[in-house]
Amino acid sequence: MRLHLWPRSLATRTAVVLLAGLIVVQIAGLTIHAFDRMDLQRLEAAREVAIRAMGLYRAVVMTSPAERQHVLEEIHHAPGVSAVISPTPPLGGMPELSFRLQRILRLSIILVPLPPNLRPHDFRMLGGAGYPTTVVGLRLPEGNWLNVTLPAPSISPWHSPAFLTAFILMTAVAALLTLWAVRRLTAPVRTLAAAAEALGRDVNAPPLPEDGPTEVATAAAAFNTMAARIRRFVQDRTELLTAIGHDLRTPITRLKLRAEFIEDEEQQRKILADLAELEAMVAATLAFGRDAASAEPVSPLDLAELLRTVLDEAGDAQPELADLLAYEGPPHFTLRARPLAMKRALANLVANALNYGGSARVRLIPPVSAGAAGRMVTIEVEDDGPGIAAAELERVFEPFHRGEPSRSRETGGVGLGLPIARNILRAHGGDVVLANRPPAGPGKRVGGVKATVTLPG
Amino acid sequence: MPHIMVVDDDREIRDLLGRFLEKHRLRVTAVRDAREARRAWSNGHYQLIVLDLMLPGETGLDLARWLRGVSDVPIVMLTAMGEETDRIIGLELGADDYVPKPFNPRELLARIRAVLRRAGDAPAARHEAGSRPLRFASWTLEPARRRLLNPDGAEVALTGGEYDLLLALAERPNRVLTRDMLLDLLRGRQAGPFDRAIDVAISRLRRKLEDDGRNAQLIKTVRGGGYVLAASVERL
Repeated sequence: MRLHLWPRSLATRTAVVLLAGLIVVQIAGLTIHAFDRMDLQRLEAAREVAIRAMGLYRAVVMTSPAERQHVLEEIHHAPGVSAVISPTPPLGGMPELSFRLQRILRLSIILVPLPPNLRPHDFRMLGGAGYPTTVVGLRLPEGNWLNVTLPAPSISPWHSPAFLTAFILMTAVAALLTLWAVRRLTAPVRTLAAAAEALGRDVNAPPLPEDGPTEVATAAAAFNTMAARIRRFVQDRTELLTAIGHDLRTPITRLKLRAEFIEDEEQQRKILADLAELEAMVAATLAFGRDAASAEPVSPLDLAELLRTVLDEAGDAQPELADLLAYEGPPHFTLRARPLAMKRALANLVANALNYGGSARVRLIPPVSAGAAGRMVTIEVEDDGPGIAAAELERVFEPFHRGEPSRSRETGGVGLGLPIARNILRAHGGDVVLANRPPAGPGKRVGGVKATVTLPG
Repeated sequence: MPHIMVVDDDREIRDLLGRFLEKHRLRVTAVRDAREARRAWSNGHYQLIVLDLMLPGETGLDLARWLRGVSDVPIVMLTAMGEETDRIIGLELGADDYVPKPFNPRELLARIRAVLRRAGDAPAARHEAGSRPLRFASWTLEPARRRLLNPDGAEVALTGGEYDLLLALAERPNRVLTRDMLLDLLRGRQAGPFDRAIDVAISRLRRKLEDDGRNAQLIKTVRGGGYVLAASVERL
C-alpha cells in the first residue's frame, strides 16, 4: 500500500534509482553551467558597453568644448543607442552595476588612448538584469556629463538549440547504458530463479555456469552444491527402490512357476492375478527408479496408433471393460518421442482412468494450426468415475501418494503411475494435469476426471 | 520330444521351470552357469537354449556368443526388465527371442514353441532373419527392437501378439499360415477365447498397415482358415 508505485522487479528498482540519480546530477550540472554562462555573458556585455561608450566619449572629448554638442548630433548611432551631454550624471530608476562590472569600464578608460587630462574623472554605470538598457555616464573635463544609453544584450542560459539537443541526447544515451547495465547485472538473479525452477521440475537439470562476477559465481557454486545434494538424496532413494525391485524379480518368477502346479483352478487364477499386480508394482518402481525416459533415444512414432494400441492392450487385459474404452481423433499423427517411455506414460493414464473411473475415453487433438501457440498437441483421457477432491488433483502426482480412502488399494498400484507419467511427459517438454469434468446430467455431482496431456507437436 | 537346456543361476527357478516345461511335453536339462552349460552341450543334443543373461561369472551374453560360434541352436533369452541394451545386444548376437523376467511361464512356453517351429526352417534363413530388419510394401519390421516403422519411418505401436503374428507372416511371405499356427503364437499372451483373438489381432494389424479389411491387399484371408502376407519381403 505504502509503496504502491514502487516497482516489484529488482532490475526496474535499480534502474529507477540510477536514473533518478542521473537526472539529479544532470540537472545540477546544467544549472551550474547555465549560471556560469550567464555570468560570462554579463561580463562580455559590460565590456562591449564600456568600449562603445568610451568610443563615443573619445570622439566627443577630442573636439573643442563648444563643438561637442554638434559633433554628438553628427554621429550616426547604432540602433537603440543614444547619447546626450547633460549637466548631471544619469539618474533614472536603475541601480548601479556591480563593482566587478564597473571595473571593466574603469579598465577601458585607462586603455583608451587619450591624454590623461582628457580622461573622464568620474563615471556612472546603471543597469542590470531585467533592464533593457544600460546607461553609462562619463564626466567630461568641463564638469558636465556624456550620458550614453545602450541596449543591454539579452542573456540566455543556452548557447544554442544544438547544445540542448546534444545534452538531451547525452542524457538519453547514459540512461540507455544504465538500463542495459542493470539488465546485465540482474541477469544472474533471473538465471538463478530459472535454475531453481528447472531443478524443481528435473533433478538432473544442467548445473549453473560458475562464472561472472565473484558474488554471482559464489551464488552459482552454492546453488550447484545444493542441487548436487538433492540429486544425491533422490539418487539414494531411487537406487534403494531399484535394488528392491531387482531382488523381487527372482521370487516373483518362482511364485509364477509354482502357481502353474496348483491344482485348484480358482486359487491358481487368484494367485496369478496377485502376482501380476505385484509384478506391475515392481515394474512401476523400477521405471520410476530408472528415471524412465532418459536413456531411450527419441524417434518418430505414430501417436494415434500408440494410443489405440494402449487402449487395445487395456481391453485385452480386461475384456469385460473393452466396451468402455474409446478413441477419438485422427487415424495417424506423427510425433518425435521416446517410444517405450511415451507408451508407459499413456498406458499409466489409461490404466488410472480405468481403475478409478471405470472407463477411458481418449481424445487426440492435433495442434490447431501450424506455428500457432507453440504447436502443442493435446491428449485428453476422460473417465466416468466419482472424480477427485480438488485438493487432491495435484497431490496425486506426488510419488507414493495414497489417494483418498475411496481411491486407495482395491485396484492396486503403489502410487507411482501418475508421477511416472508426469516425469516422462515433462521430460518430453510437455505436462499432464487432472481436472474434474462438469457433471453430464443434473443428478450427478461431478462428471468424472479428465487428464489433459500437452506435448510439443 | 524336443530337448531344451535351461541356463539359470537360481536353483528353484531351474527346478520349477524344468518341471513346468516337462509337464508340457518338453525334455529339459537345467544348468546353473556357463561352465556347466558348455559341459552339458558337449554331452547332449539340444533343440533350444533358454538362457538367463544375468549369470554369475561368465555372462549370458558371452555364453550366447560362444553358442553362436559352435551352433545354430535357437536361443530364447531371459532378460532383466527394462534392460533394453542387453536385449538388443542379445538379439544382434543371434538370439531368437527374449522374455523379460519375471516372466509368465505360459508366455515363455509360447515363445519356445514359436521358436522351435521356426527352427524347422533352414538354419541359414532363420539366422538371416534373426535381427535384420524386414521390409515389405515400404513397411519395416525390426526384430532387434520388436518394432514396426511406417513408410515415413515413424514407429507404429504393436501389441506383443500383433508383433509375433506380423513377424511370423513376414518371415514366410506368400505362404499360408494356418489359424492353428498363429493361435500358438498368441497362446499365453491373452485371456479370453483364442480364436477370436486371432481375428481381432489380424484386423488391428490391417488397420495399422492401412490395409482395408474388406479389400485386404497385404494380409489376405485364405478360405479354409489361414492368412498370408501377399508381398515381397526384403531383408535389409
